[in-house]
Amino acid sequence: MKAWYLCECPYPFVPAEVLASADSVRASLPNHYVDPRHAADLYHEVLDEFLLCDELGINVISNEHHAGINCLFGASPLFLGALARQTRNVRILSLGTLISVRKDPVRIAEEYAAADVLSRGRLEIGFVKSGGSEMASGNANPVGFVERFWEAIDLIQATLTHHDGPISWEGKHYRHRSINIWPPCWQRPHPPFWAATGDPGSAAELARRDILNTVVLRGPEGTKRAWDAYKTARLDAGMAPAGPDRFAYSAFVYTGETDEEAVRIGSQLLWFVNTSLKQAPQYGKLLPGQSPPEAAPVLYRSKPPPGGAAGRPGAMLSGITPEQAIAQGLMFAGNPDTVVRQINEFQAKVGGFANLVLIGRSGFMDHAQAEKGLRLFAREVLPRLQDPVLASAA
Amino acid sequence: MSVTSLLAPSAEGATARSVAGITLEVQERGAGRPILVLHGPDPLAEDAPVLDRLGALGSVIAPSHPGFGGSPRPEGFETVYDLVQLYAALLDEIGTPAVVVGCSFGGWIAAELALASPQRIAGLVLVDPLGIRISADPLTRDIMDFFNTHPREINRRSWHDPARAPDYDAMSDAALIRHARARDALCLYGWDPHMYNPRLHAWLHRIKIPTLVLWGESDAVVTPDYGRAYAAAIPSAAFALIADAGHHPELEQPAAVTEQVAAFLNRQPAGEFVR
Repeated sequence: MKAWYLCECPYPFVPAEVLASADSVRASLPNHYVDPRHAADLYHEVLDEFLLCDELGINVISNEHHAGINCLFGASPLFLGALARQTRNVRILSLGTLISVRKDPVRIAEEYAAADVLSRGRLEIGFVKSGGSEMASGNANPVGFVERFWEAIDLIQATLTHHDGPISWEGKHYRHRSINIWPPCWQRPHPPFWAATGDPGSAAELARRDILNTVVLRGPEGTKRAWDAYKTARLDAGMAPAGPDRFAYSAFVYTGETDEEAVRIGSQLLWFVNTSLKQAPQYGKLLPGQSPPEAAPVLYRSKPPPGGAAGRPGAMLSGITPEQAIAQGLMFAGNPDTVVRQINEFQAKVGGFANLVLIGRSGFMDHAQAEKGLRLFAREVLPRLQDPVLASAA
Repeated sequence: MSVTSLLAPSAEGATARSVAGITLEVQERGAGRPILVLHGPDPLAEDAPVLDRLGALGSVIAPSHPGFGGSPRPEGFETVYDLVQLYAALLDEIGTPAVVVGCSFGGWIAAELALASPQRIAGLVLVDPLGIRISADPLTRDIMDFFNTHPREINRRSWHDPARAPDYDAMSDAALIRHARARDALCLYGWDPHMYNPRLHAWLHRIKIPTLVLWGESDAVVTPDYGRAYAAAIPSAAFALIADAGHHPELEQPAAVTEQVAAFLNRQPAGEFVR
């Protein structure tokens, strides 16, 4: 099992009454609530956590979100560059530059190739579709973002794999007359590709493109649904069956000395779903292009119908307790024995995955707590995790 | 008349019409000179009073734009350019020069159409049209953001009487789906530049067609001053305010709008309009 550490570098230090009264904690919350000196401390702390991971053998993830309390890594390629230079051992996943928001995928490929070279071939490239508030922050049309997502992947792949002089691209969404990045990427044909989705249709498309599928916070049923679609699509396409190396699961993870300590500290991770996802309807459920029109009766009315769905997956997690999160497979938290057992049980339910993404610091969890959890996980949990091939066969 | 019903799905009154191979949901009223009505953010409902009132002045054709109402949106049909070509083709089919009435987003299409097919248009009526940029200061927004604005604020800016705003809790499932479909289509066509063509203002002077620009006095989506600048850019245009109306005078004050249109048509020299 490979472990990957993710910290979005949140900024929870906005007065609670401001967060409670704001329509949205993303896109529209004024940036005067961020103290740049405090943000600098957080940047250094989280980069230090990544460097600790480099010593511990936990791979690291550089991510990107914009204009909100959940993440200060808006200028994602800058932090990817810092990781590419400062880490020495582990692999680095960018998960990822928001390709359906950035205007020029060729420039993204250029940044990725540079990071791959700077890290001497330790880069992995992750694609994410972005959320509604990112469309406002990135000035990107929320209608058609899925189409742009796939074309941007095609263009980035073409950019990374052509080495014999300029090529041109005249697609539906992107046009570029002279594509010839210097340097090309270190790994050939290109760094491994990942993408985050829990949607079975998108997972099937990832399968056909041989892109690793990470599912984030979906629990065993939703995860298995996506991965079953992935496996079926591979077979339907006449490709080799998908092994556990094609899958990653992302969850809140905290390892403590005792179950009590782990749940007490780890419960701070739930700030991500309970506080940082709040967004005004114009950035989420009422933003065009995010849901099919047929969902409008649920999304537009002030009260959902009796027994009806509450909307998008993130919204359904709001208010969750640590016990519920653990029971639903969204959080692995406890002493080392407990965490090993929880992860192995999850493995057995979903059919095997070779990559575990640890959402290991969020909300008000502090640097010392994050590092303590990482050290315990690396020493006591990671070496004991079940071989995913065996779990897959189980 | 509540707007909830104005946004309701068209009933059996709408017909399908094929234009240049593209199927349009169309509502028709009256007889005589053709009047093409191009709707704003939502298609006109079958029972919108403005349809019957305009129907007393001529032969009303009110299509739902592709992607709106019951009109399918063909693959690749994603731009205002497509809409202008489609309605130019419709005017070609009609043959007789038409009066074109465009509201809000439809007003933008109508202004573009007047430049693309002037020989097919006898008169142009723009009701709170979008489509141009007036302000030189890039920090000034001329047109309210239709998509990243809270619904509460959209309603406040759009209606003279906020009680006329759509009540999502009272609308039928079908009406909500129709409304969401319209929002998706509007966003596809108008996200960026947001609801305008940066070059349209500079060419409006070429419109020689008799033109009437009507503006809801309480419009806070695009203000009456924007409307005055719009009218000033068209040498042949007159400008009039509609009292007790916001961004949708054709819905809030259909009688006043129709009276203005009738007076405008009557002002034109004999022979200018075919009756």
